[in-house]
Amino acid sequence: MRYQLELTLRHAEGALTRVLGAAERRGFRPVSVDGEAQPDGDRLYLRMTVEGERSDEALQGQLAKLYDCLAVQVVPCP
Amino acid sequence: MNGARWLVQALAAEGVDTLFGYPGGAIMPFYDALHDAVQDARIKHVLVRHEQGAAFAANGYARASGRVGVCVATSGPGASNLVTGIADAMLDSVPMVVITGQVATSLMGTDAFQELDVFGMTMPIVKHSFLPRRVDDLPRMLGEAFRIARSGRPGPVLIDLPKDVQNGDASHLAPHVPLPAASVPKAPEHSLHAAAALIAQSRQPVIYAGGGIVLGDALEAFRDFVAQTRIPTVLTLKALGVLPAAHPSNLGMLGMHGTRAANLAVQEADLLIVVGARFDDRATGKLDEFAPHARVVHLDADACEIGKLRAADAAVHGDIAAALTALTPSCAAQALGFHAATRRAWRDICLQRKRVFAARYDAPNDSVYAPALLKRLSEMAPQAIVTCDVGQHQMWVAQHWRFDTPRNHLTSGALGAMGFGLPAAIGAQLSLQMPQAMAAQVICVSGDGSFLMNVQELATLRRYALPVKIVLLDNQALGMVRQWQELFFEKRYSEVDLSDNPDFAAVASAFGVQAFHVDRAADVEGALRRLLDAPGPALLHVAVDQAANVWPLVPPNHNNAQMLDADEATSLPGTEDAYARIPVTTKEASDALPA
Repeated sequence: MRYQLELTLRHAEGALTRVLGAAERRGFRPVSVDGEAQPDGDRLYLRMTVEGERSDEALQGQLAKLYDCLAVQVVPCP
Repeated sequence: MNGARWLVQALAAEGVDTLFGYPGGAIMPFYDALHDAVQDARIKHVLVRHEQGAAFAANGYARASGRVGVCVATSGPGASNLVTGIADAMLDSVPMVVITGQVATSLMGTDAFQELDVFGMTMPIVKHSFLPRRVDDLPRMLGEAFRIARSGRPGPVLIDLPKDVQNGDASHLAPHVPLPAASVPKAPEHSLHAAAALIAQSRQPVIYAGGGIVLGDALEAFRDFVAQTRIPTVLTLKALGVLPAAHPSNLGMLGMHGTRAANLAVQEADLLIVVGARFDDRATGKLDEFAPHARVVHLDADACEIGKLRAADAAVHGDIAAALTALTPSCAAQALGFHAATRRAWRDICLQRKRVFAARYDAPNDSVYAPALLKRLSEMAPQAIVTCDVGQHQMWVAQHWRFDTPRNHLTSGALGAMGFGLPAAIGAQLSLQMPQAMAAQVICVSGDGSFLMNVQELATLRRYALPVKIVLLDNQALGMVRQWQELFFEKRYSEVDLSDNPDFAAVASAFGVQAFHVDRAADVEGALRRLLDAPGPALLHVAVDQAANVWPLVPPNHNNAQMLDADEATSLPGTEDAYARIPVTTKEASDALPA
C-alpha cells in the first residue's frame, strides 16, 4: 500500500531524520519526500509518500509520538 | 557561572540526588562543576567502572523508585558504552536522562578526537534527544528532557553537551524550574461503554496484565478491579508483582516459560482484558494461535500498542488507572449477574489447574536445584528487591520468586541485556532514601555468563559499601542458548561452554567482596542464611547442574497450549492434547532466538 502523509515538525536538529528513521524502522519505505521550512524557522512542513504492508494508522501513531512532530495526517494519494 | 555549573544546579532543582557516571575529556567542565555539588552533598555521584554500568545503574535506580535515573559519560567511547543501557530503558519504558559530553561545536563534524555522533547513533533508542548549541538552549532542553522522560509512557532522553556550551557564560540564566509531567488523558466514555459491554457478555474472561500498570501508576486501581471482578489473571514478565503471588486470581506468568494455568486460561478464554500489555512474542507464542477464541478489550496509555499486533474489539486509550476505576463498579456487578454461574465454574477450572500444575521443588539428587533455592530465598527475604541478568536464571526467578510488588522485580525484559543485574542492583540500592537505603535488601541473581559482562562493578559495590547480595548460579555454560541447542538444534553445542570460568569466589574476594560457595542441596539453607546475614556486599557462588533446563517451555512457532516439560505431564480431562510432546524442527527453532 502507498500512503501520503503531511507533517508539521519543529524545525529542530534531527527532526527530519527522526521522521524518516521512524517510518523505515516501522516497515515503511519512503518513496518521495518534499518539504520546506517556515520563513521564521520554527516549523518544517513535510509531505512524504511511503509504501508498506502495515496500516497507515500504525505509522501515523508512531510519528505522532515523536516530540518534534506537531501534527501528522494521512491524505489520499494523488 | 558557566553552563556546566548552571546544569548541575538545575539537576539538583529537578530533584536528582544521585548521578551514575564516568568522567572523560569532553565532559570535564561538568565534572568540575559537579565537584562542588558533591562536596556540599547536594548531589551524590557514583563512579562506576564502565559506562554501561552507569546506564544500567541509572536504569535500576529508575525502575526501583519510579524517579528519573540520570547517567553521565564523556564523548566518543564513553557515550557509545552507554548505548545498551539506553536501549534497555527505551524498550522497557524506563525514565532516564542521559548526559554525554561532546566536542566543542566548532569541532563537531571534523572527526575530532573522541567525536562521535551519539545524537544520531541513539535516535532509534531514545524517546527524544537534545543537542544544545548555545548556553541559552540549556533551560528549555533540560526541562523538556525531564518532562519527556517521565511523561506518558516513560523513556530515556539524551542531552549531548558540547564542551563550549559547558564552558559558556550562563550567569544570565534564571534558576531552573522543573516542568510538570504531562498527564495522560482519560479514555473516552464510549470506549469504556464498549469495554464494559464486552466484559458483560463474557463467560470465560481473563485479564492479561502488563508492565503498563506500573508505569501508569495504576496498581491500586488494578488490584481493586481484580478483587471486585474475581476474573482470573495472567501476568507478563514485567507485571510480576502487580498481584501478590498468593492472590487467588493470580494464575502466574504467561508465555514461553509461563505457567500451564496461565497459558491454558488464555488459550481457552472468550475475552482477554489486556491491561498495559503489548502482545510481546515471548508472551503470545505463535501469534495467530494466541487466545484463538477471545475477543479483546485493550487498555493502554500508548495508542500505538492498541491493535499493533492483535486487533482490539474495544480499544480503551487513555489513563489506565482512571479507566479501571470507571469500569470496576459495572464489571463487579456483572460477576454476580447473568453469567455468574458460568464465571464461577470458569474460575474454578483456572484455580484447579493452578493447584494441579504448581511447580514442584522435590528434586531427587544432592545437587543444588536452582528453582528450589530461589523459592527458599524468596521466603527468607520476602521484601527484597531482586535484579536479574538474562538467561535461565532470569526465567527461574520469574517462575519461582514470589513477588508481591512489581518494583521489587527488576529485569531486562524486552532487550534481554546480559550484564544488567549487578549495576541495576547498585542503582536500586541507591534509589532508596537514606537511611533506609542501606537497610533495604537488594539481591542480584545472576548467571556465570551474564555476571562477567559487568563484573567490574564489584569495585563499585565495594567502594560505596553497598550491601547488595549476589547469588551467582554457575552451570559453566551459556545455559539458555545451550538449552535451545539441546532441544532444537540436535544437541550441537556451539560456543556455549564456559568450563574455564574463573574462581568466582576468588574474584569477588579480590574486589574486597566476601564470597561463599555451595554445591550441595543440603547446604543451601545455611548458605543462604550466611549470605543474608553477611554485613556489606557478599556473593554466593552456586554450582548448578548444567543439564538443568527451564520448564515448562513453549517451543518456537507453537501456541501457548503446546508446552513442553521435562517429564510427561499429567493432564486434566479434556486437555490431553495440550500436553502432548510435539515434534519441533530445527528450521522452526531457527525462526526465533532464545531469550
